Amino acid sequence: MAATVPELKRPERGFSWVVEQSTTAALAVLGLGAASLAVIILGSTAVLTSFGFIPVDNVIEGFQSSAMKAVLWFGVVLGIVAVAGGWGGFKSMPTKVAREEAIAGAVLGMLAVALGAFLVWFSGGEVDRFVFNYMRFEGTSPLIPHFFNGAKNTLVLAFSSEVLGIVLGLLLAVLALSKRAVVRAPARAYINFFRGTPLVWQISFIGVALPIGFGLDIGPYQAGIAALGLNAAAYSAEVFRAGIQSIERGQMEAARSLGMSYFQAMRYAIIPQGIRRVIPPLMNEFVILVKDTALILLLGLTSSQRDLMTVGSQAAANTFNYTFFLMTAAGYLVITLPLIRLVNSLEKRLRSGLVGIGA
Amino acid sequence: MSPSKAASPTRSRKSAAPAGETLIRLEGVHKWFGHNHVLKGIDLEVQAGSVVVIIGPSGSGKSTLLRTMNMLEEPTEGKVFFNGVELTDIRTDLNKVRTDIGIVFQSFNLFPHKTAVGNITVALEKVLKLDGNEARKRALEQLEHVGLSEKAGAYPAQLSGGQQQRVAIARALAMRPKLMLFDEVTSALDPELVREVLDTMKELADEGMTMVIVTHEMGFAREVGSRLLFTDGGRIIEDGDPKKIFARPKDERTKDFLSHVL
Repeated sequence: MAATVPELKRPERGFSWVVEQSTTAALAVLGLGAASLAVIILGSTAVLTSFGFIPVDNVIEGFQSSAMKAVLWFGVVLGIVAVAGGWGGFKSMPTKVAREEAIAGAVLGMLAVALGAFLVWFSGGEVDRFVFNYMRFEGTSPLIPHFFNGAKNTLVLAFSSEVLGIVLGLLLAVLALSKRAVVRAPARAYINFFRGTPLVWQISFIGVALPIGFGLDIGPYQAGIAALGLNAAAYSAEVFRAGIQSIERGQMEAARSLGMSYFQAMRYAIIPQGIRRVIPPLMNEFVILVKDTALILLLGLTSSQRDLMTVGSQAAANTFNYTFFLMTAAGYLVITLPLIRLVNSLEKRLRSGLVGIGA
Repeated sequence: MSPSKAASPTRSRKSAAPAGETLIRLEGVHKWFGHNHVLKGIDLEVQAGSVVVIIGPSGSGKSTLLRTMNMLEEPTEGKVFFNGVELTDIRTDLNKVRTDIGIVFQSFNLFPHKTAVGNITVALEKVLKLDGNEARKRALEQLEHVGLSEKAGAYPAQLSGGQQQRVAIARALAMRPKLMLFDEVTSALDPELVREVLDTMKELADEGMTMVIVTHEMGFAREVGSRLLFTDGGRIIEDGDPKKIFARPKDERTKDFLSHVL
């Protein structure tokens, strides 16, 4: 290590430093671990691709081929070597970097062994039956547009009910925070009712029982938005209430002592801060809402109104091909994963205090 | 109001009560927090133009006493009058009265989601109903007065404690109050930031603002105060000229307190 430097600079911790700190043994373990997992994942994908995905018999042949077995066993053996090397050697590594590399290699090796062993077991068993039901891609492409339409409907349903839920929820939160019991009580009753009964019940009641009982002419789509929105209102009311209550008492005192009324103080001082604090939990509610839209399948939508779940299950029921179920899950993930990422990054920003800045 | 006074932004206060007239009157004020009897029968008059400093051991009720003056604490018993209006009368519009009484807090209580200038303009626009340009103009004048013109666009989190407190003072002054209340405004500040806030307050006192100040800064109390109250156990124990009280406290409790803090 440098001993006599005129000005002490922060020690460099870049790529070259990492290379310098590594040892051959550590890099070998890391490389083996990474290679074993790559062989299992990329190798098996390559084998399946070389056999082709349509018709379904190709997929079955691919799984049962000797090439598949060779690839999987090779990956498992590589993984075992990586695990053995990393497990046995990580404590004797001379630097922290080398130790971390050895541990990472061993863990990657474990993942490869587990995944490889599962695939060996899977392709040796009743793989034909599973693949025939869940990986039969012939005839799915004409239905892809329906999935896009379903995703659009899911988003529209989730977004409309979220808007309804946020507006109503904020109002309920303010009422629930009143110091007057007569104002609080109805808001609490509403919140507790919608938090205390199953969403499935609420959707069927609003979508089926209410139209019959009151002779209302509301479509299943509108009823779905109403039910999901009324439910979301109860949950977001609790989120808003927590956010508003988390604002220091001094903020209300400062606003009131400037001559603001209680409602002006709420409107200009308290609620803007409260809302900022609850953006991540509110967005979490939205992710949940995206998935809860699946429940309106109960209401019997017309084909253009169908959401992702309804499209998938209808397609599966009509064709006896359950591949559509997997496609449905993929559709939900395409929507929810970016949202989850967004929530996490917002939470990070909030923790670092940056959300306080900027209007 | 003379033209020379109107030139200075803080002096162009609306109809400041003539010096010597009673601005605040407390009659038999008691305050209980639960079973804790915090104020035990306070009778007090504050004259316009005076600078009243309240000192006393912690828990003596000095902050509560200050906060009854703008009804942030409602007296459990007794009456509070401001400029002849009874604040303890339920029919009094407190929101209107409070525009005449500025208060600055120990913990600043700036709105963190608004800039320095935004902190000031919000009440000017929403309470005094000034239009946007006028409010902004007045806010900038007020920031200049506390020496923070260049920080107008900064958020509270970007300001030092002393700067935040000066913005808080500017926010209260922009309402052009007849009375300013200060509740231990330097207690949360790092020692090197106390001076700038005290200087701002001294300037304000020199301009003739009526002030009631709860503080632990004894030097400031002696130098700036025109009248000193010593509170202990929810009562006003001593009331008089600060220099005399500091030199020759009459009551044993005052002597004891001063010997600990000086």
